[in-house]
Amino acid sequence: MPLFLFKRFLQAVLVLIGVSFLTFIVAHLTGDPVELMARENATLEDKQELRAFLGLDRPLAEQYLSFVGKAVQGDLGYSFVQRAPVTQLIAERLPATLQLAAAGFLLALLISVPLGIVIALKRNTVWDVVVTALAMVGQAAPGFWIGLMLVVLFAVELQILPVSGYGGPLYLILPAITLALQSAARLTRLVRASMLEVLNADYIRTARSKGLRERTILFIHAFRGAMIPVVTMAGLELAELVSGAFITETIFAWPGVGRLAVNAVYQRDFPLIQGVVLMAAVFFVVINFVVDVLYVVIDPRVKLK
Amino acid sequence: MRIHRSLTAGLIALTLALPAQSLWAQDAAPVVIASSEDVISLDPHMLDSNNPTGSVIWSLFDSLVRRGSDGSPQPRLATEWERVDDVTWRFKLREGVTFSNGEPFNAQAVVVNFARMDTAPFNSVQQLHDQTGLTEVRVVDDYTIELVTEKPTVNMLYWLAEAFIAAPGYITDTAPDVVAGAPVGSGPYLLGEWKRGDALTLVVNETYWGGAPAVKTVTFRAIPEVSSRLNELRAGTVDLVVGITPDSAEQANSDVSELVKIEGLRKMHMGISIKGEQPALADVRVRQALNHAVDVPTIVASLMGGSTSPLVSIVNPPNNNPDPTPFAYDPEKAKALLAEAGFADGFPLTLQWSTRFDGGKEVSEVVGAYLEQVGIKPSYEAVEIGQFRAGLSSASLKGIYFQGWAALINPSVELVILTCGHVDNSSGYCNPEYDKLVIEAAQTLDDAARQKLEFAAQAIIWNDAPWLYLWRLPSFFGISKKLSYDFRADNYLEPYLITYK
Amino acid sequence: MTRATARRFFGRHAIGLIGLTILFLVVTSALFAPWIAPHPPSAVNLMARLVPPAWVEGGTFSHVLGTDNLGRDILSRVIYGAQISLSVGAGAVVIGAIIGSSVGLLAGYFGGWVDAVLSFLINVQLSFPFTLLAIFLLATFGGGFLSVVVVVALATWVNYARVVRGQVMSVTNQDYVEAARSVGVPTLRILRHYILPNILSPIIVVASFSMAQAILTEAALSFLGVGVGGTQPSWGMMLNDGRNYLQNAWWMTAMPGIATALTVLAGNLCGDWLQDRTDPRLRQ
Repeated sequence: MPLFLFKRFLQAVLVLIGVSFLTFIVAHLTGDPVELMARENATLEDKQELRAFLGLDRPLAEQYLSFVGKAVQGDLGYSFVQRAPVTQLIAERLPATLQLAAAGFLLALLISVPLGIVIALKRNTVWDVVVTALAMVGQAAPGFWIGLMLVVLFAVELQILPVSGYGGPLYLILPAITLALQSAARLTRLVRASMLEVLNADYIRTARSKGLRERTILFIHAFRGAMIPVVTMAGLELAELVSGAFITETIFAWPGVGRLAVNAVYQRDFPLIQGVVLMAAVFFVVINFVVDVLYVVIDPRVKLK
Repeated sequence: MRIHRSLTAGLIALTLALPAQSLWAQDAAPVVIASSEDVISLDPHMLDSNNPTGSVIWSLFDSLVRRGSDGSPQPRLATEWERVDDVTWRFKLREGVTFSNGEPFNAQAVVVNFARMDTAPFNSVQQLHDQTGLTEVRVVDDYTIELVTEKPTVNMLYWLAEAFIAAPGYITDTAPDVVAGAPVGSGPYLLGEWKRGDALTLVVNETYWGGAPAVKTVTFRAIPEVSSRLNELRAGTVDLVVGITPDSAEQANSDVSELVKIEGLRKMHMGISIKGEQPALADVRVRQALNHAVDVPTIVASLMGGSTSPLVSIVNPPNNNPDPTPFAYDPEKAKALLAEAGFADGFPLTLQWSTRFDGGKEVSEVVGAYLEQVGIKPSYEAVEIGQFRAGLSSASLKGIYFQGWAALINPSVELVILTCGHVDNSSGYCNPEYDKLVIEAAQTLDDAARQKLEFAAQAIIWNDAPWLYLWRLPSFFGISKKLSYDFRADNYLEPYLITYK
Repeated sequence: MTRATARRFFGRHAIGLIGLTILFLVVTSALFAPWIAPHPPSAVNLMARLVPPAWVEGGTFSHVLGTDNLGRDILSRVIYGAQISLSVGAGAVVIGAIIGSSVGLLAGYFGGWVDAVLSFLINVQLSFPFTLLAIFLLATFGGGFLSVVVVVALATWVNYARVVRGQVMSVTNQDYVEAARSVGVPTLRILRHYILPNILSPIIVVASFSMAQAILTEAALSFLGVGVGGTQPSWGMMLNDGRNYLQNAWWMTAMPGIATALTVLAGNLCGDWLQDRTDPRLRQ
């Protein structure tokens, strides 16, 4: 077990090095950020001076090493477009993103788990067909499009929810739903399938033949068994949600890391892009790691090489 | 017991606070201004966008000269000025002004600030030295300075309006990234709170030399979606909205708010890239044909909701030469001109735009649809803003491109950008005859003589058509009915001039 | 076919039938767009801007689904839009399948350090927030058809790689393959005769899901303004155009969204159906 964890850890570090290198290279293949920062009619000398001031005239390898060296100490550099330290910019936006992702994740679980169980139990009834069909449509429609349609309905026509922005809980509703729907659709189908599989499994049959109460069987035995694949998927879904937050935050003007990142790409804010991507990669790697560990904890049968 | 006591104390405090609260609400309710963008930096010498960053800096700091909404120079930290000779300006400075940290304002403060503007990274943003040819700041006495330029210039007062003065000791001793977040100026407001990417609050400077403004608290909020800005205006949670699109303008009118239309100064055009990938554009007849092929008045009437008018010169009114005839919409004439130039069958043409201006894509697609009618084969390309700017400054965009140069009311500044090799001459136009007139005008101090030269230059450039002329970018604002304010065409907001009705 | 067998057939194949029918319709409109579409897709009419769909007050039957901000016919644009979505989807599926299957095949067959290196690559890709990477790449290298196809393929190759790797591993461990190996049958021949037949059907299943995913990704990228671009309308681009007009022209956003959802649904339905047909474990 410790060896396994160590291996995974090593792998995670390698992945992060790969990611940081890739971002750095791609960021520097783009055009010159000096063009963006200098005023519309700055002279060539002014621009050259600015380039030197920003350290952009140093060799690429040197720039990369200095980036990695500082990143390890939590210093992700300085955003010249926003004129603030990257770490600070991300830290300021992180709560909003976490709030949205958490709300979306909870919502997805709250919708999918009960719904999935119910339709598994009422298999092949009208309910099953209707919910499954809805889930398939939910999976097929672009999440951001559903978000826009929700805006038309609730914000433009009914005028009961704000179009976008950040403020009280009312502002959270539409973005959270938008973010949650696709996950909810996927998870509902997963819960259903996994519940069906468990209900057919030997140990449930044994429990039944032993004459245990149906409710006990359902909630103690079947539920636990059915949750194993769901936990794995839910971990991936959380990562997916953070990724999906980029576009959702852009639509709803949510002041989170996603919108920060999308704007940073448009403004060619290299240090900020690198910072966000690196942070997201750390997040993904940690989630994957936690899922692996959870997997071992929940289901001792799983052996990991 | 303790709970009881604090409860009582709280109640007393509440009762005491209540009347004050309601008085405050009536007389000086905070004003909330909503813009699409975030405030970027509060370093006065990093000012590179008019609103909201510029508006905030105009509120925190003073410049020597204020630029009135009609472009005329007015006293601010300088009380009066005169030209001593062709290259020397003398300014009398306001006495008794102190910065918010207690440092006094005097000639030395100007020297320190102007010197800072001329060093990296500030000199890549600040225009004062480059645009005026400023070479020396001479201290005559504590409250008199002389500015010496390399050559005679008519632009000094214009650029001084954007050269802000911060507390000299503070900016000398403090790291630039600290200055950017903790401004020390002498302006009508002080920084209250700044939540980056969300809101910035200004509080009144009660000891402002010009008298404390009527509005005591001003909040700048970033609300990217125009629909959200308008919703909040209608709901009364926002008092002033900047950046409204023509199609949504009507929605600024409500029970509590109204729409204000200002015919803007930014001259929108499709720049014609003479050195780009389409050699046909080097032929003046082809450029004129493009101008005849597009029905600008109809686009203004429909797409722009009649909110602006077509360009009549590359110089804004009232300084424009009234003589050049507008290019009438005449597809037949356009085809004839193309045929004359040897392009009867048209040619492929790339239309490019960036995210810098709203509607770049719409406008390009409409223009392209018109050009298709005269046989040109358009293709479209959204260009990422950085690449677009690089393309502008190297005059290397592909075909024609949607662009608008700054909102200016100064013919000399407006004309110079089309001289050979000028950094903003993104169409790559070059005509020595034009250059000669423009340079001569910029150094001519006699008003009548200068205007004659400027009119001649305008006439030449209009017919040479380095642009497909469109319209002046209109500005729409929304304002609460409780407030009154005269909006500026250049989008700067001066909250200290807002009053309650 | 008796009624009972018909019912059984349709019951079992219903999702496949629905999926294939939608797909057929979409492919038809893409192929025959010039004959089906009532108007040229880029014909601007400034006098007929933002006309609502026919069934809404103010709508006309010459523009059944209404017009957009420049007075272009939305129905025609949706029909032409199918061309972009399908060709991006198909292109991405082919490229993704080739890259992904090769990686999976190599990793699964050779195992050892080859597997370690390739699995590492897969992990790097999976630990990268893809949306950001895609915007980033496209903003850098410019949009355009080919870039979008490649970027979308980059998003999906991992799907193939993982499935193929697993499948190959299980096949390689079978006795008959080990036997073939031990008697010195050339690697290429083993791959062709024993491995390939076993991984084809999972590849097809993954391909139909990936097609759906590719179409969704293309829509998202175009929506963010880094899509195919050019003169041709695409559904994502239409969604992006419509976004500024949510307040006064919901149909600009609704119509391309429905088209996207239906097409993606078709891909997913076909995928489900194929999986059901080919994966005996899921057959119930």
